[in-house]
Amino acid sequence: MAADTDSPTTPPAEPQAPQNAQATDHSPSQGPAGMLRFLGLVLLGAVIGGLSALAAVGFVNAVIWLNDLLLISPRGRMMFAHPEALALATVAVPALGGLVVGQLHRAIRERRPHTPADLIAAVQTRRGRLPFKAGLLSAMSGLVSLGSGASVGQYGPLVHMGATLGSLGARLMRMGRSDDNVTIACGVAAAIATAFHAPLAGIVFAHEVVLRHYALRAFAPVAAAAIVGHVIATNVLSQGALFHVTDTAVPRPWEFAAFIVIGGLGALVAGGYMHAILAVGRWAAKLPVLPSLRPGIAGAVLGLVALWVPEILGMGQETLRFATIQGAFSSLDLVIVLVLKLAATAMCIGMGFGGGVFSPALVIGTLFGALCGTLVTQLGMADETFVFYAVCGMVAVTAPVIGAPLTTLLIVFELTGSYVLTTAALASVTLASPIAAQLFGRSLFDIQLARRGLDLSAGRGRALLQNTRLKSLVSQECVILNPNDRVQEAVTRLGEGGHGEAYLVDDRQRYRGSVTLADLEVMRGKGQGHHRVRSCQRTPRPVLSPEASVWDAMHHVQDVTGEAIAVVDDKAGDAFLGVVYESSIARAYLKHSEDLRREEHGTG
Amino acid sequence: MVRAERQAGASWRKTACGLLLAALTGMSPLAAGQDAAAAQGEATLDILTWGGAYERAQRRALFEPFTEATGIPVRVHRYNGGLKELRQAAKEGSIPWDLIDMSRSEAKNACASQLLEPIAPEILHASPQGEPARRDFIHGALNRCAITHSVFATVVAYRRDAFPGRRPTEIDDLFNQQDFPGPRALQRGPAVNLEWALLSYGVPEEEIYRLLSTRRGLSLAFKRLDNLDSIHWWEAGDTPVELLAEDRVVMASGFNGRFFDAMVNRDLPIEILWDGQVQEHEVWAIPRGARESEQARQFIGFATSTERQTALAELIPYGPSRRSATIQVANHPDHGVDMRLHIPTHPLNAEHALTKDDEWYANSHERIDEYFRQALMTEGTSELP
Repeated sequence: MAADTDSPTTPPAEPQAPQNAQATDHSPSQGPAGMLRFLGLVLLGAVIGGLSALAAVGFVNAVIWLNDLLLISPRGRMMFAHPEALALATVAVPALGGLVVGQLHRAIRERRPHTPADLIAAVQTRRGRLPFKAGLLSAMSGLVSLGSGASVGQYGPLVHMGATLGSLGARLMRMGRSDDNVTIACGVAAAIATAFHAPLAGIVFAHEVVLRHYALRAFAPVAAAAIVGHVIATNVLSQGALFHVTDTAVPRPWEFAAFIVIGGLGALVAGGYMHAILAVGRWAAKLPVLPSLRPGIAGAVLGLVALWVPEILGMGQETLRFATIQGAFSSLDLVIVLVLKLAATAMCIGMGFGGGVFSPALVIGTLFGALCGTLVTQLGMADETFVFYAVCGMVAVTAPVIGAPLTTLLIVFELTGSYVLTTAALASVTLASPIAAQLFGRSLFDIQLARRGLDLSAGRGRALLQNTRLKSLVSQECVILNPNDRVQEAVTRLGEGGHGEAYLVDDRQRYRGSVTLADLEVMRGKGQGHHRVRSCQRTPRPVLSPEASVWDAMHHVQDVTGEAIAVVDDKAGDAFLGVVYESSIARAYLKHSEDLRREEHGTG
Repeated sequence: MVRAERQAGASWRKTACGLLLAALTGMSPLAAGQDAAAAQGEATLDILTWGGAYERAQRRALFEPFTEATGIPVRVHRYNGGLKELRQAAKEGSIPWDLIDMSRSEAKNACASQLLEPIAPEILHASPQGEPARRDFIHGALNRCAITHSVFATVVAYRRDAFPGRRPTEIDDLFNQQDFPGPRALQRGPAVNLEWALLSYGVPEEEIYRLLSTRRGLSLAFKRLDNLDSIHWWEAGDTPVELLAEDRVVMASGFNGRFFDAMVNRDLPIEILWDGQVQEHEVWAIPRGARESEQARQFIGFATSTERQTALAELIPYGPSRRSATIQVANHPDHGVDMRLHIPTHPLNAEHALTKDDEWYANSHERIDEYFRQALMTEGTSELP
C-alpha cells in the first residue's frame, strides 16, 4: 500500500493543468475551419498510428531476437548444445535482466515503470502530457524484462509506448488536452491493432479501456491509426496468429451453459491473479532489500524454478498454443503450470520487472479453460469442442484483468474468424466481467489507480474533480485580522472591503478561526468596540487543505452558509494560505463539466 | 546478355585474381573455361548428385549442355545425401568431387564445419531481362558457401486405388488409419515426419519449429508417429516410389520430383497430396580441396542461368530458385504436361507449404536425431524396406 500511495498520479510539476487547457481548447469546432482542423487531427492520428505500429514491430522483433540470443526461447534453447551452460543461463539471464531493469527504474521519478494504468489516469483526469523520458525508460524496461525471460506481457509496454508517442505528437503540435487524449488513444489503438493483427479490437480497446466514452470526434482519428497499424503489421510483421482454429465443430446447446459457468469461475481466477500481483507488491515493499535489486532476486528465483518447469519463462506463447491442443497436457500438468505461471507473473511484476499483465493472463486463462475442457472430456460429455473450452477460459480470465470484455471478444473474432467460437466466448464473458467487477474492481488498472488515490469507479466526472487541486482557486482577496485587533477597527475594515467574514491570523501566520461581520456588530452594539477580536464568538467553519480537491470542496459547500472557505496548510503548522470562494468552486465545477461535455459529445 | 557476361567476368576475375588463367586471358568466364579445357585437355568436372530421374534430368538440362558449351566433360557420382562421405573424404585429405548437389541444411552445416569453399554471388548471371542475380533469386538462395538452384518438396503420395470413394486431402490423413487404412512409408529420420505429426494437431506452419523445440512438442509428435501401424522406413529416394508401385504401402512420403516421374513417365496410379508439403532448398556447393574449383564456379553460373533453370524445371518438377525462371516454365518437352502445376512453388500447390528450417536442423540435429531414435527406433517396430 505504501508503495502505491507514495506515487501520486498527478505530477506536481503541472498542478494548474485545467487552466492551461482552457487557453488552447477554445478553437472553432464548427464550420469549414473546424472541419479542416478535424481532418488535421485524423491525419495526425494516422501518422501516430504509423509510428506506434513501427515501434511495436521493432519492439516485438527485438524481444524475439533477444529471446533467441539469450537462450530464453525454446528455439534458442534447442539449438544450443551445452546443457550445463544452458542451465546456468536459465538462472543468470533473468537475474541479470532484473538488475538492469532495477537500474533503469532508478531514473524514473516514481521508481517504477509506467503502465497502461498511468495513461488511463492521464486521459481520465484530462491531464494528458505523458512524460516522454519515463515512457522511453518504461519501454526499455519492458524490452529488457521480456528479452531476459521475465514472466510478463508485451502488450502493456506496447500500449504505453504508443500512448507516449501519441501524447508527444499532441505536444509537438501544441494541441489542447482533449486532442492530447485523442492522440493517446490513437497510439494505443495502433499498438493493439499491430500486435494482434486486429484493427477492430484496437479501436474498441482505445474506447473501452482508455477513453471510456464514445465520441465521433475521437473515433475517426483512432480508426485511422488502427488501420495504418494493421496495414503495417500485415506487411512487416510475419508473426503467426495468436491462436488458430481449423476444426468446424459446433458445441451442443448445453455446452453454452458450461461456457457461462467457466466465465464465472474464470472471474475468480482473474481475481486471484490480480490480488497475487498486488500482494507481492505490498510484500516486496517490506523486504529489507534495495528496490533496484528486487527484480534481480525475482529473476534468479524464476530461473531456478524454470529449470524444472521451463514453461514459466517469457511470455509463454508456446504454452498458450499447447493449451489449445487436446492431450498436450495432463490435468495435473495443467494445474502445475497454471499455478506456477500465476505465481511467476505475480512475483515478476510485484517485485518490479517492467511489463504487462495481458499476455500472462492469456496463458493462465487458456490453461484454466483447457483444464475445464479436460475435465468435461474425461466425464465423456464432449470431445470435438476442446478448443472452445480453452478459448472460453482465456477470455474469462483476460477480460476482467484488463477490464475490456468487448476487446477480448473482438480479438477472438478477428484472430479466428470463427463466429461460433466468438459466440462461445461471449457466453463466457457474460458472467466473467460483471462478477469480477463486483468482487474486485473494473480492472487491475482501476484497482492500482484506486490504491494510488484515483477512484474511477464513480465515473470520469468525479475522478476529474477529485484530481483537480484547490490550490489554483485560492484567493488572497479577503479581510485578515490579527486576534489582537479591536472590534471597531475590524468592523470598519470589513465594511470597507465589502465582506461579511474575516479570518483571524496570528503573528505567526497561524489560522485562528473566522468571525462574521454580524457577530462583530453585535459586540460593538453592546459597547464592546474596544475589545479584542479574539474574544468574539467564532463561527465554526470547516477549513480546506491546499491539497484538497475540488470534489472535497463541493462537499463542504453543501454545509457552509458563508461566502468562502479558508485554506489552511495543516502540514505547515496551520499556516493560512487564503480563501476559496464558493462561486469559484461552482465555476470550476461548471468548467470541468463543460470540458467533459465538449470532449465526449462533440462531433468535430 | 553480352553486357551481363562481361560484368560477370569482371567480378569473377576479382574473386579469382590469384589465378594465372583468368589474369592472362582477361575474357568472359565462358571463354576462359573453353581455353582452360583446351589447355588442360583432360579436365573433368566430378559432380556428386542424387540418382534416378533427377540425375537423368540434370544430365539433359545441365551437364550435356555444359560440356557442349565449354568442352569440359562431366563425370557423375551418386549419393543419398548426408555429410558422411564428405567428412570421410576430408579426413583422408583427397576430395574426389568438384561440386556437390546437396540440401541447404547440410550445406550450412558443412559450411560451419569448414568443409565447403565460400562462393561469391558475383559468379551468377543476370536474368535475360537484365535483373541482377541478387534481386532475381528467391529469399535465402544466396548463402555463404551455397547457391540454391531449385526448391523441392517432400510430400505425401498415395495410391489412387487404395481408398475407394474418398481421397486424402489434408496432411492429417497421413495419420488417420481409420479412414485411410494401410501401411505407410516414411523417410528414416526426424526431418519432415515431426513437422507433419505436429501439423496434424492443427498447429499453424509458422509455429512448427518453435513448438518442436519443446519437450512437449516433441512428445506430441512422437505420439502421432508411434500410433501409426506398420511403418516402412525408407532411406533411398527411389524406395517410396517402388513401395507404392508394388502396392506394399498405400501412402508414402517422398520427393515430389520422384513421384512426378512415376506418375507421368511410368503411369503409376499415384497422386500427390500437396497439403503440408515441406519445401527445401537444393544447392550447389564446392567442397574445400576440390581439384577443379574454378570450373565448378563456372558450372554454377551456367547451371543457375534463367535458361538452364527453366529447362531443368520442364524436365523435372522442381521449383526454380530464380523468379525469372519460374515464370518461364512451360510444358514438358516430351509429353506436353503443363509443368507449372507440378512445381512445388506454384501458388495452387503452395497454399499450406512449410519451409524446412535448416538453421534449426543444422544446430540441433544431433539432439533431435537422438530423441527420434529413442522414441521410435528402439522398439523394433521399424522395418527395413
